[in-house]
Amino acid sequence: MKTHNCPPTLTDRQVLEFCKNGFLMLEGVVSDEINKRTLEYLEGNTSGEPIEILHEDWFMSNVIQNSQAAGAVRSLLGKNFGLPTLMSNHRVRTPAPAQGWHRDGGWKHGVELNYLQVFYYPQACTFEMGPTALLPGSHFLFSQSVYMGHYGSIRGTYYAVAPAGSIFITVYSIWHRRSASSVPGLRNLLKYNYWRLSPPERDWIVEPDFDFANADYAIHDAPTFREQFVDCTDAAHMFMWLCGQGDHFSTLGGQAWPLRARHDPMPYGVPSVLLNGSNHDVNLVTNGSRTSRH
Amino acid sequence: MTTLKEELQTCLEAFRRGELTEAHLRRALDSAEKAGDNGNGHRTQDLLYLQANSTSLGATVLGMAMLRDGQLSDGPADPQLWPYVTVLDAIRDGWRVIHFPNMALMMDESRTYGLGCEFILEK
Repeated sequence: MKTHNCPPTLTDRQVLEFCKNGFLMLEGVVSDEINKRTLEYLEGNTSGEPIEILHEDWFMSNVIQNSQAAGAVRSLLGKNFGLPTLMSNHRVRTPAPAQGWHRDGGWKHGVELNYLQVFYYPQACTFEMGPTALLPGSHFLFSQSVYMGHYGSIRGTYYAVAPAGSIFITVYSIWHRRSASSVPGLRNLLKYNYWRLSPPERDWIVEPDFDFANADYAIHDAPTFREQFVDCTDAAHMFMWLCGQGDHFSTLGGQAWPLRARHDPMPYGVPSVLLNGSNHDVNLVTNGSRTSRH
Repeated sequence: MTTLKEELQTCLEAFRRGELTEAHLRRALDSAEKAGDNGNGHRTQDLLYLQANSTSLGATVLGMAMLRDGQLSDGPADPQLWPYVTVLDAIRDGWRVIHFPNMALMMDESRTYGLGCEFILEK
C-alpha cells in the first residue's frame, strides 16, 4: 500500500463547495511537458487500464502527487492518504454518442467521504470532443446505474471542458457520463482513486472568518431534484463529518440551520459542537489540537 | 401524401353525392394501413421521457430523452433548446401520457430515487 502526505491546499469554503457540488475542477495544473509525455506514453500503451504508468516516477510525482491536486486530496481525505492502485484510460475515438449516466461500481451512498474518483486530461477537451458531464449535487441523489439508462439531457449539467493538464476531483458516487462528441479525434482521459487512511478532521486551511452557523450550505447553480433544503442538509452533514463531527450532526427542522439566518445573527438549531456558549466561537479539532476562536 | 383524414373526407363527400365506390373505401383503407408507417413497413412508437420538478403537469422539465422514428435522442445539451418547458407543453403538442411519476417511490423519506418526477409520453 502506497501513501502520500503533503500540505493541504483547500480552505474551509472550498471544502464546503466540494461537499455541495460533489466535484472540484483544477484547470491546467499539470505542465505541458508532462501532458505531452503522458500522451506519448498512452500512444505506446493503448490499454483501457494502463496500470504500468503508475510505475513511472515522472508520472507519479507530477500527476498523482501533483502539488495542487494532491493538496486538494489531502484536504479532503486527511494526511497519509492512499494512492491509486488502478489506472483507467477512457480513450475514445470521436465523434461518438453520449454514454449513459451512471455511478461507477463500488459506490456507497451517504455523507462519508473515504475515497475519491479523480480524472486527468493530458490534452485539452472542448465541448465538441465530448467532455465528461457531471451532475452537480448528484452524489447525494440515490439511484442505481441500471435505472439511469433512459436519462438524456439534464438541466444543470456541468461539462468538464478544460485545458490540457486539468485534474478534476469528484465524490465517487456522483452521476457522470461521457458527453456526445461531434468532431473527429482521439480523446484520452485518465481516471483513478485515492483513499482515506486517517480519521476525518478539520486539518485543511482554516479560514479565521469562516462561520459554521451562517455558511452557505445550499447549492445554487443547479436544480437538486429533491425536496427543498435536503441538498443543504446533506452538504452540511458531509462538511461536519469531514470536520470529524459527523456524530454530532442534527437539524431542528423548518427554516433552522443549516439554512442561513436572514434576520437574526444566527439561525436556530446550530449543533452545539459548532458553538461555544453564546459567543459564537467554533471549537473543533484543528491540526491535531483544540482551538477556540472567533 | 393524402392523409387518412383527407381520404375519409373524400369518402364522406362521395357518399353524400351518392357516388361512394369500393375504390374510395380501398384508398381510405390503404391510408389507414400506412398511418404511422416508418418507411420500413413497421409502425414505430415514439416515446418521450420528461423528468420534472414536481408531479404537476405544469412543472418545469429538468431532464429529457426521446425515441423518435426509431432513433434515440438525448435532446439538445442546452435546456434552452429543449422542445418543451413543461409536461403540459408536450401534451399540447400531441404527446399522450402513459406513465405518471410513481408515488410508491416516495414512501421512504430518507432517500430520493432517481431524477425527479418522471413522466413518460408517447405518440
